[in-house]
Amino acid sequence: MNATSAYVSVGALLFAIGMVGFLSRRNLIIMFLATEVMFQGIILNLVGFEMMHMHLTGQTFALFLLVIAAVEAGLALALVVLLFRRSGTLDAQAWQSLRD
Amino acid sequence: MTITFAESGMLKLAPLIPLLPLLGAGLVGLLGARVLKAASHWIVIVAVAGSLLLSLMLVGVVFCMHDLQQYDATYHIYSWISPAVDISFDVNLRIDPLTAVMLVTVTLVSLLVVIYSRDYMRQHRKPERGYERFFAFLSLFVFSMCTLVLAGNFLLLYLGWEAVGLCSYLLIGFYYQRPAAAAAAKKAFLVNRIGDFGFGLGILFIYLWIAPHAQPGQSPLDYAVVFEHVQNLSQAQCTTIALLLFCGAVGKSAQLPLYVWLPDAMEGPSPVSALIHAATMVTAGVYMVVRCGAIFVESPLAMAVVASIGAVTALFAATIALAQYDIKRILAYSTISQLGYMFLGVGVAAADSAIFHLYTHAFFKALLFIAAGSIMHAMGGVVDVRRFGGLRRVMPVTCVTFVIGALALAGFPFLSGFFSKDEIIHAAFQEHFILGLIGLVTAALTAFYTFRMVFLAFGGQERIPDGVHAHESGRWMLIPMIVLAVGAVGAGYVGVTPCVGGFAGWVAPHGWFHDFLAPVVAPFKHVTAPVHTGLVGAEGLVHGGGGYLLMYVSAGVSILGIGLAYGLYIKKPDWPEAIRDILPRTYDLLSNKYYVDEMNDTFVVQPLRRTSNLFFGIDRFVVDGVVLAVVMVPRTLGAVFRTLQDGAIQSYAVTMTAGLVLISLMVWLVG
Repeated sequence: MNATSAYVSVGALLFAIGMVGFLSRRNLIIMFLATEVMFQGIILNLVGFEMMHMHLTGQTFALFLLVIAAVEAGLALALVVLLFRRSGTLDAQAWQSLRD
Repeated sequence: MTITFAESGMLKLAPLIPLLPLLGAGLVGLLGARVLKAASHWIVIVAVAGSLLLSLMLVGVVFCMHDLQQYDATYHIYSWISPAVDISFDVNLRIDPLTAVMLVTVTLVSLLVVIYSRDYMRQHRKPERGYERFFAFLSLFVFSMCTLVLAGNFLLLYLGWEAVGLCSYLLIGFYYQRPAAAAAAKKAFLVNRIGDFGFGLGILFIYLWIAPHAQPGQSPLDYAVVFEHVQNLSQAQCTTIALLLFCGAVGKSAQLPLYVWLPDAMEGPSPVSALIHAATMVTAGVYMVVRCGAIFVESPLAMAVVASIGAVTALFAATIALAQYDIKRILAYSTISQLGYMFLGVGVAAADSAIFHLYTHAFFKALLFIAAGSIMHAMGGVVDVRRFGGLRRVMPVTCVTFVIGALALAGFPFLSGFFSKDEIIHAAFQEHFILGLIGLVTAALTAFYTFRMVFLAFGGQERIPDGVHAHESGRWMLIPMIVLAVGAVGAGYVGVTPCVGGFAGWVAPHGWFHDFLAPVVAPFKHVTAPVHTGLVGAEGLVHGGGGYLLMYVSAGVSILGIGLAYGLYIKKPDWPEAIRDILPRTYDLLSNKYYVDEMNDTFVVQPLRRTSNLFFGIDRFVVDGVVLAVVMVPRTLGAVFRTLQDGAIQSYAVTMTAGLVLISLMVWLVG
């Protein structure tokens, strides 16, 4: 098992954990954290493939993604706060009525 | 020949008579609320005064032309609708003595009522809500009424006919916040619709039957063409047309059985009652029947129907008026009764007398209504004659003018109403003894109920409703009342001739007015001998001493009625109560207006409502049912698929995951 496989496996594992977390929890913050975990899994993938190709673009891209993830985290948490102020709960089910 | 220039110039100005008020209505309607506000009445006063001036000039021109026997009565303005090459419906005016008389009556009363409204439509010197709207509608009414009487063909007549109906509806419902006013306006509109349905059918039949006889280029709805070809129609056709047209007149002029809207129409402001529901619009039916005399005289049956309905209505409405207490409703029933007289006159072929009565009635009834409005204004809107009394000291001018109007209405000798009413009764006696007798009895009843009202309102102790500051009305209201009072006294003198040895030694019926109208009422004249040749066909007595017997009789009847009212309401004020206790059934019948409204409700409104409910059910369950069944198909499909979108983020995520897994599997298996 080469290094790439290890990186990609850990990345897939992180992604799967995040996905299970996202699917099984209804707390908005936990769900948000779960997406972050999935995100990290993907970034780890990029690093793994960079090792395979021996090409620095992958790592550069990973750094960019981390910055974007940080920005997005700020935005998403602000939205969560707004949603909490509106409904008084962090339960995602509270917004089910938006379906219509 | 010297008048040709003036005549042609005047004819060119004739369209201005309706157009000036239309312009006024447009101006006030558009600018009233923002710009003119409390000055809105000026525009309408100027416009209607212009119309009055032109109408007076028109009378002069028609009179001159009439003397020279050279007028061409129809004045073409423009071609309105031409659906085919040789058919054209024009806007043309009929200018003849009848039109001229009607125009002067309409515009004169309108002008006075508009002036009167300037103060009446104010509370404590401030314009009421809707002040400018009121004047815009009033001006629109004058336009419509002038169009109606000036029209030279049936289509334009119908336009004016419907337009006055619309204005009447708008003005009855002027206080639309009051449910009673809104209901009265609706009632007036619906009842008129029944009559107008017949009227419209009549016009269609005229077109249908006259068109084959009309020469190319002639419009089959022009009065001139219709009256020229009317003898080509069979008697049955004439009867059909005449009765259908009369149907419209019955609705518009509030005759049996379609009179029910007029008493309720008193919910409108008093100037409206004076102008529209007493002096002008309600007389449109009489005008129309006289105008179509050529058709009516061809059918003895139609003439008999007109005379009988008129006579029965006159008596019927007069009896209801005996037991009413609302001052405006008494006057409304009196109007219905007087319109009955006019139809009685037309029906016995005394069309000139009918128009004469229309003309005098316009003065004294408009006067009575605006004087009643003046009382209402002073009494804070109270109209029940039991709640006030002895007003002669508080409102001297109103009292004097009201009494003058009442005397004229009661047919007191030498006032306008006396001459015209007496002529109709005379003509009725010549036609049939019963008709004449009904006329005389009604005259007595009229005198009685009119003075019952006068003595209750002005006689006895001074009684004023609590919390009301009673006061005489302002100058803007008093001047029109005084002018109309002068008219109520003097207007009749254009229809009589000074005659030594005549009635009371100096006056004889049949004057300038009748000579002026003679060419218009000519169709009626070959039916019967001229009116006033003596009592009950005793010809040749008119110049003898005995020929005026009927005039003495009707004067006596009138004074008798007044005297009876004086006796019952001034001398023995407790007798009316006693009479009511002796005849409770009769009193109930009269004070409840013969339960006609209740009967209409039971036999017309309720069955209609039930039928409508049935159709509503059919619409609801059958028609809508089919539509709903069709709708069910997409709705069911939607119900299946909408479950996929439940709004829970997790279920979307699961779907996405499932998709991801599926794609991954496919890639793994295929790749």
